[in-house]
Order: sequence, then C-alpha cells, then structure tokens
Amino acid sequence: MIDCREAVRRMWPFLDRSLEPHPAEELEAHLETCKRCCGELEFSRELRGLVATTSSPALPDELRDRIELLLATVRDGGPDR
Amino acid sequence: MVERIEEVTTAMVEATELPDGTARVAPGRLFADVVHEHLDRLYGYCVHVCGDRTDAEDLLQDTLVRAMRSFDGLRDPEAARTWLFTIATNCARDRWRARGRALDTVPLEAGEPDDEFSLFTTIAIEDPFPYSDELHLDFLRLFEDEDVQAVFATMTPAFRAPLLLTTMHGFSCKEAAAVLGVPLGTILSRLHRGRKQLERGLWDYAVRRRLVTVSDES
Repeated sequence: MIDCREAVRRMWPFLDRSLEPHPAEELEAHLETCKRCCGELEFSRELRGLVATTSSPALPDELRDRIELLLATVRDGGPDR
Repeated sequence: MVERIEEVTTAMVEATELPDGTARVAPGRLFADVVHEHLDRLYGYCVHVCGDRTDAEDLLQDTLVRAMRSFDGLRDPEAARTWLFTIATNCARDRWRARGRALDTVPLEAGEPDDEFSLFTTIAIEDPFPYSDELHLDFLRLFEDEDVQAVFATMTPAFRAPLLLTTMHGFSCKEAAAVLGVPLGTILSRLHRGRKQLERGLWDYAVRRRLVTVSDES
C-alpha cells in the first residue's frame, strides 16, 4: 500500500494517463481508503485544467504577416524566380 | 526586425535550393502547410521557453529556418508537431549556450524547497475564503490567463518546459522526452518538480497580489 506522499506524486502522471497500470492500480487502491487524497486528486484535475486552458501568448499580427510573406517567398522559389 | 526577417527569408530561400540551383520540392506536404498548422502553438512554446517575447520572435524565426533546411528529413507528417517543437528546443539550447547559459540547468535549490509544498493543504490551512463551499476551486478562479502566464514566467525553464509540453500542448511524456532530448525518467521527475514549483508560484503570486488574505505572509 502506498502512502499519501507517494499517491500525490502519482496524481499528475495518472491524470496525464502516463502512469503504468500497476502504479495506477496502487493509486486507485489508496484513493479508496483516503478521502483527503481524493480531494487532492480532484484539485489536481482542476489545477491541471487551469494550466491546459491558459491561452498561449498570441502571435503578434506584424510577425504573422512577415512569416506569411517569407513562406510565400520560399514557396514561390525566391524573389528572383 | 525588418533586417532580421529579410535575413531569415534569404536563409530560407537558400535552404530550398538544391546544389544545381533548382528548387527543392518537399515530398507530400508543403513546408508552409506544416508551419501554418503549428505556428500559433509554436510561438507560444517559444515565449514559454524564452520567457521573453522579443527573444521568442527571434527563436521562432531561427526555428523556421532550421526546419526548412531539414524538411526533407521529415518522413512522417504525423510527427511534424514533435519535429518542430524539437527544433525549437534545440535552437533555444543553442541561443542559451551562446550567452553562456544552459537551457536544461536544474539548480539544486530550484526544486528542493518546493518539494514538500502542497497548494491543496496550504489553501485548506489558510482558509482564505471562510464562507466558501468550494474553497479550492475559488482559489483557482482568482487566476486570469495573464496571472497564470506571470507564474509560468517565474518557473525554472527546465521544469516549466515539460509541464507546458504535456499539459498545455498535449504531448505525451514520451513525446516531451523526445522534444527535450532527455530520458523519460528525467521528464517524470521534472514534471513533479515543475508541478510543485507551479503550486508554490500560484500561492506566492496570490499572496503578493493580495488576492488572498493569510494569517502570516512571512
């Protein structure tokens, strides 16, 4: 049986679905008996969601326009073609 | 910026030319299509890696030039996202190295103090919203996008990158390991330390901005 410290350590990998089956089963067994860790898992899920839904900095319009221009230039084979 | 773009354009045009002067034709997909599909997220990643928008613009352009040069080597279109982010990481590593810094440095003090910190427990103990039925959720609701971005900016780059790759950009841990060029075990360790640093950063930010009232701010 894993303790709370180890359970907390496994929570984000569990939410990422990157935890191997056996460690995941151990975590689930711990959660069955630990109300506090159930609360922390739900909080971790929400916190992970906060990070996941935070908008990345937007590409500045000026930079986007310049990149479009250079991509078009490259696609057309350069200014001398 | 104009000079920089012209320099990049020249480099990219040169990169598309074969030795006989004819244009290199990328198989299957056009380079521009691949760039268009991932450009916005790639820029966001560049900002997160650099922690600075001006640097991020240069990093993005370095990345596009290097990607153009090696586009012929991209055999699997499905791997384009990992491929572009890997190039961005390598370009960032080169830029940091040129400045005498290391992108992947993990200072000994960076993770240790935060390892025992639990945001969940701290919120429960400090109880910043005494009348709330959703204490922990109310804490997270304090944060707008710019607040979270500000906390990201305070994180150690070596911890921030795995966290954002897996959580914000949707990479698996194995893909993040490939992007960053480190073993899977290293990613898992840095994810844990990054998460702890994020928790500490969110709490410190809330206290510093007086978004919460606590018993002892020291």
